[in-house]
Amino acid sequence: MSANLTGALQSEADPPPSTGLLEFEEQTEVGELYLKALVRRQRRLSLGVAAVFATFLLVQPLLAWWWPGWSRLRLVGIPVDWLVLGLGSYPLLIWLGSIYVRRAEEVDDEFTDLLR
Amino acid sequence: MTSSTAAIFGLVLMAVVSLGAGLFARRWARTTSDFMVAARAVRPRVNAAAISGEYLSAASFLGIAGLVMQFGYDVLWYPVCYAGGYLLLLLFIAGPLRRFGAYTIPDFAEGRFDSPRFRRLAVTLVLIIGFFYALPQMKAAGLTVQTASGLPYGAGIGIVAVVVVAGVVGGGMRGITFVQSLQFAVKLFAISVPAFLLLIHFSGTGVPFARGQGGLQRLTSTTRFQVTSGELWQVPGSIKVRVAHPVTVGWQRQAPTAGSGAPAAGFEGGTGPVASVNHSRDHRLRLEGVGQLPRGTVTWRGVDLVTVARGQPAPFGSETPASTTAAWMQPFGPLAGGTGHPLLFTYSLILAILLGTIGLPHILVRFYTNPDARASRRTALLVLVMLGAFYVWPPVFGALGRSYDPSLYGNNLTDAVVLILPSQLGAGWLGQTLSAIVAAGAFAAFTSTLSGLLVSLGGAFGHDVYGRWLRPSAGPAARRRAFQLGALGSGVAAGALGLLVGQFDISVLVGWAFAIAASSFFPLLVLGIWWRRLTTLGAAVGVALGGGIATCSIITTMIATVSSPLAAFLGEHSNLAVVLSQPAIVTVPIAFACMVGISLLRPSPPGGVSAKMVQLHAPDRLGLRREYIPD
Repeated sequence: MSANLTGALQSEADPPPSTGLLEFEEQTEVGELYLKALVRRQRRLSLGVAAVFATFLLVQPLLAWWWPGWSRLRLVGIPVDWLVLGLGSYPLLIWLGSIYVRRAEEVDDEFTDLLR
Repeated sequence: MTSSTAAIFGLVLMAVVSLGAGLFARRWARTTSDFMVAARAVRPRVNAAAISGEYLSAASFLGIAGLVMQFGYDVLWYPVCYAGGYLLLLLFIAGPLRRFGAYTIPDFAEGRFDSPRFRRLAVTLVLIIGFFYALPQMKAAGLTVQTASGLPYGAGIGIVAVVVVAGVVGGGMRGITFVQSLQFAVKLFAISVPAFLLLIHFSGTGVPFARGQGGLQRLTSTTRFQVTSGELWQVPGSIKVRVAHPVTVGWQRQAPTAGSGAPAAGFEGGTGPVASVNHSRDHRLRLEGVGQLPRGTVTWRGVDLVTVARGQPAPFGSETPASTTAAWMQPFGPLAGGTGHPLLFTYSLILAILLGTIGLPHILVRFYTNPDARASRRTALLVLVMLGAFYVWPPVFGALGRSYDPSLYGNNLTDAVVLILPSQLGAGWLGQTLSAIVAAGAFAAFTSTLSGLLVSLGGAFGHDVYGRWLRPSAGPAARRRAFQLGALGSGVAAGALGLLVGQFDISVLVGWAFAIAASSFFPLLVLGIWWRRLTTLGAAVGVALGGGIATCSIITTMIATVSSPLAAFLGEHSNLAVVLSQPAIVTVPIAFACMVGISLLRPSPPGGVSAKMVQLHAPDRLGLRREYIPD
C-alpha cells in the first residue's frame, strides 16, 4: 500500500521527504496523530462556516413566525424580507465561501510546511 | 399557446449551436478518461461554468419564476437553498472527494468501504435519482417547444433527445463540459437581460410590489380564455365576463382563500388540483352574452371562449390557489400556509433542498474532473458566484408576472411566465428579440441538465455496472463503448418515458430525487469523509434505510393524490402529511442515527482506513495522491 502511495507524482527536484512526511506516509502512530489533527482542524473550520449560514437561514422563518412586523417592513416599496432572502443570501454565500477557501488552503499549507 | 417566429428562431439557433459545439468538441475526446472525467484536466473557471450550466435546469430557468408567481415569498427558499447547497458541498465534500480520485459515487462507496455489494446498492440509487431527474426535463422540453412554437409535445422531446444524445455519445464528459459552459453563459444572459429590461420598462408604472397591494389582482389587458368542459375557475371577486356561446356553469359559494390549497405535494411546485368541488352543493348558472361570475368556485360545463375585460379581477385556474396579494407577499402564504404546520413545512423544505443538492450524483461526478483538490474548492466557490448571479433573477420574473400578466393564472400558464412576459414589451423588435433570447435560454436549460444526467447514467452503466460488476476484465475501449451505449439507451428511455408522462404532473419526481439524495448519499459522503469510525454495515444500513423510507413516504403522497380515503386520512393528520411530502426532516436524521449508532455498537472499521483518510485529506502539495483508477 505504501509503495503505491509514495510520491509517484513528486517531481525530481523535490527535497527528500523529512521524517514527518515519512511518519505520515507509513501511517505510524505519530503519522496518525498528524492526520487526526489535520482532519480535526479542517472539520472545525467547515462546521464553523456552515453554522453561520445555517443561522442565517433558520432564523428567518422564526422571525416571521414570532414577529409579524418583520414581513411588513419596506425599503423603497419592496418588502425587506424579500430583499434579505432573495438578494442578500448570495453575497453572504460568496463571502462565506471565499473565507473558507482561504482558511482551508492556509490549514493545508501549514500542515505541509510542518511535515516538510 | 403563443407561437412566435422569434421564439422558434431562438430554439433552432440554440439547437444548432449546441449540436455544433458538441460535434466540434468531439475531437478532444479520445480516451475512456476523457469520456468519464474529461481526463481530469478542466480548469476551475470552465468547470464552474459547466457545473452551473448543468445545475440550472428547466426547474431553475422556468420553474422558480412560475412558482414565485403562484406562491410568492415561500418559494424564495428554493433558489436560495439550491445555491446554498453548493456552500455545504464546498465545505464538506469538494476537496476530499476529488483527492479520493474515484470516477463515480459508487466508486467512492466501494473504495471507502471495500465492499462490491455496497457499489451495487449505490448504483441502483444513482440510476433511480438520474431517471427521476431526467423525466421532468424531458417534459419541460416538450412543453417549452409546444408553448413557444406550437409544434406538438413530442417534437420538443425528439429534438432535445437527438441534440443531447449526439453530444454525450460523441464527446462524453470532455465534449459536454465545453457545451455546458457555453450553455451557462446563454442562460445567465437570457434570464438577466430580459428581467432587467422588463424592470426598467415597468418601473414607469411604479414598484412591481405596489400594484394591487393587499387586494385582488386585476387583469392588465382584456383577455380571452379558452375553457373546456370540467375546467375549474377560482373567482376571487365578482367578474364580468362575455361568453361566445350560451353556457351553463356550476358554482359554489365556498370562497377560495389563500392557503386553501391541497397539501403542497410537489417539491418543484407541482400541486394537485387546488380546490376540489363538492357537487352536492353546486348551483347552476346560465351565461349568455355578458354575465357576472360571483365570488366562489366555478366549473365550466362546455367548451367556450370567455372574454374578460381589463381591470376585472383575474380568475385563478386549477393549478394556483387563489390568494390576495397581501397573502402572496408574506411568509407562510399560499404554499406553506396551506399545510398542517407552516413552520415545519418550511424547515423540511430548506433541509431537503440544501442537503439534496449535495447528494445529487450527476453534480458530484463533475468535481472529479478537476486536476486537484485546490482546483476543486476554487471551482465550487466560482459556482457559488455564478449561481448567485443567476438566482437573483427568476423571482423578479415571478413578481413582475403577478403584477403585469395575471391572466396566466386563469390560463394555468404560470410555468411559462419567463417565456411569455417579454412579449409585454410589444410586438416590436425588442419584444421579439427578448422572446427569442428566453426561448434559447430555456432550450439551453433542459439540454445541459439532460447532458449531465446522461453522462452520469452512462458512467453508471459503462463504468459501474459493466466495467466493475458484469465484466471487470473489460479493457478501456470496451468500457468506453459501454459508456456510449449506456448514455444512448438512457437518452432513448428517458425520451420514451417523457412522451408517456406528458399528461401527468411529474414534477414531484424531482422532489423524490432530492429527498432520496439527501437521505442516502449526503450522510454517506459526509460521514465517510469526516468520521473514520464509520463501518461498512452502518453506512449500508443508513443508505438503504434513509433512501428507502424517503421513497416510501413520497410514494404514499403520490398514492394519496388518487386515493380519497388516504387523502382524507392525511387531511386529518396534517403534520404527518407535511412529513410524508417533505420527508427529509425525518429521513436525514434517521440515516445519520443508523450510521453512527451501528458503527458505535459494532465497531469494525473497514481495513486500511488510515490510508483512506490520508487519501481524502492529505494536502495536494505533499504529493501523496494516487488516482483510484489509473486509466
